[in-house]
Amino acid sequence: MARILVVDDAAFMRKMVSDALTKGGHEVVGEAGNGLEAIARFQELKPEVMTLDITMPEKDGLTALKEIIELDPSARVIMCSALGQESKVLESIKLGAKDFVVKPFQADRVLEAIGKALA
Amino acid sequence: MSDDPLIRLGKSSSEAIAGVLEMFAPGKVVAGDVTVVPPEKNPMESIPVPAVATSVSYVDGVTGANVFVMTLDGARKLAAAMMGMEEPEDPDAPELSELELSAVSEAMNQMMASAAIAVSSVLGTEVEIGTPETKMFTEAAEALGAYPQTPHAVRASFSVCGEPCRLVQLVPNAFVVRMTRALDELGAEVPSSEPAAAGVASTAAGAGAGPGTPSLAGIPVRVWAELGRAQMPSAQVVGLPSGAVVELNRSADEPIDLYVNGRRFATGRLMVVDGTDWAVRIETVLAPSNTSTQDQLEVARWPESW
Repeated sequence: MARILVVDDAAFMRKMVSDALTKGGHEVVGEAGNGLEAIARFQELKPEVMTLDITMPEKDGLTALKEIIELDPSARVIMCSALGQESKVLESIKLGAKDFVVKPFQADRVLEAIGKALA
Repeated sequence: MSDDPLIRLGKSSSEAIAGVLEMFAPGKVVAGDVTVVPPEKNPMESIPVPAVATSVSYVDGVTGANVFVMTLDGARKLAAAMMGMEEPEDPDAPELSELELSAVSEAMNQMMASAAIAVSSVLGTEVEIGTPETKMFTEAAEALGAYPQTPHAVRASFSVCGEPCRLVQLVPNAFVVRMTRALDELGAEVPSSEPAAAGVASTAAGAGAGPGTPSLAGIPVRVWAELGRAQMPSAQVVGLPSGAVVELNRSADEPIDLYVNGRRFATGRLMVVDGTDWAVRIETVLAPSNTSTQDQLEVARWPESW
């Protein structure tokens, strides 16, 4: 079980991801709807893992990822994005993301990524 | 101008979109016809209202936009399916609830991203998309001027949860030119100079061009040999230092594969000729397969399955 922060600009996706994580026995400690909020909540809540969308208003997920890794190089971030292009995946991994889940996804895929990030 | 590139574009986008919809609403998605909209017609003409429309522009790579239009009822049923409900909570509400709208926008977003990836794969270059924008139309006429006019447009129809939906692709000229070029390259696959393959190509041309096909005998084909494959997570690829050893999926005593224009056509043994150059001695020429074109393009596009 892990304390997880869920970041996505779509309320629906936050709900879906949160439901899947809760059913998988994790605790969703917070949610954020854009990159700026994500960074603030990350610092405030210190989650063990966070899921991060890429296309978001205010500050996109890749920029947020970069700043979060600068704040805490050991941060475990899993990108969750519909933008599954190779360049986005590679950029995310280079910036320090632990995994990349392409939407639409099955709940199991998210849980598997969380499990691997914690291992 | 031929409509082929437009239809091809529409079909690949339509398949990608249907794939995403099918995950959200399993068994409730039917992909219909893909047609080129005649220039004198407005592609947004006579949409069933009230409707929800989401548009996404390409921001890089190609110019153009995709608009997905669904009826309000369709949007509501899709949102319900996405939340695992059989029927919408409030089927007669005049507007979508906040959560329904969020679900539909997200579905649209994922459909458009998936369509962009499909277009990238057809074009051979990556295209990026902007943030989706969702609009509501209560009168059919409102939709007519809602999006910029482009010289070409493609329309793909769908049925989602029994409701009619429409994908409209707004395609400027520059895009079609690029697309035609990419498709020509894809279709002909004629490398102007391919020094690496040239050594083997002469042998292959002899083997491949049988008698009775004189007009095809002179077409240069791309030939390559494959020693083996490896699959690993991207993180591992990024972290590969020089000196790292990547194990391939084939043992050293197995024959290797020879490909012609993406189609596996023979197996053989790797050998050295003239003391310096690699060559392949063909052991078995594979029978022409009856399988689909997709299987024959095994290498040109890596299959998902391995």
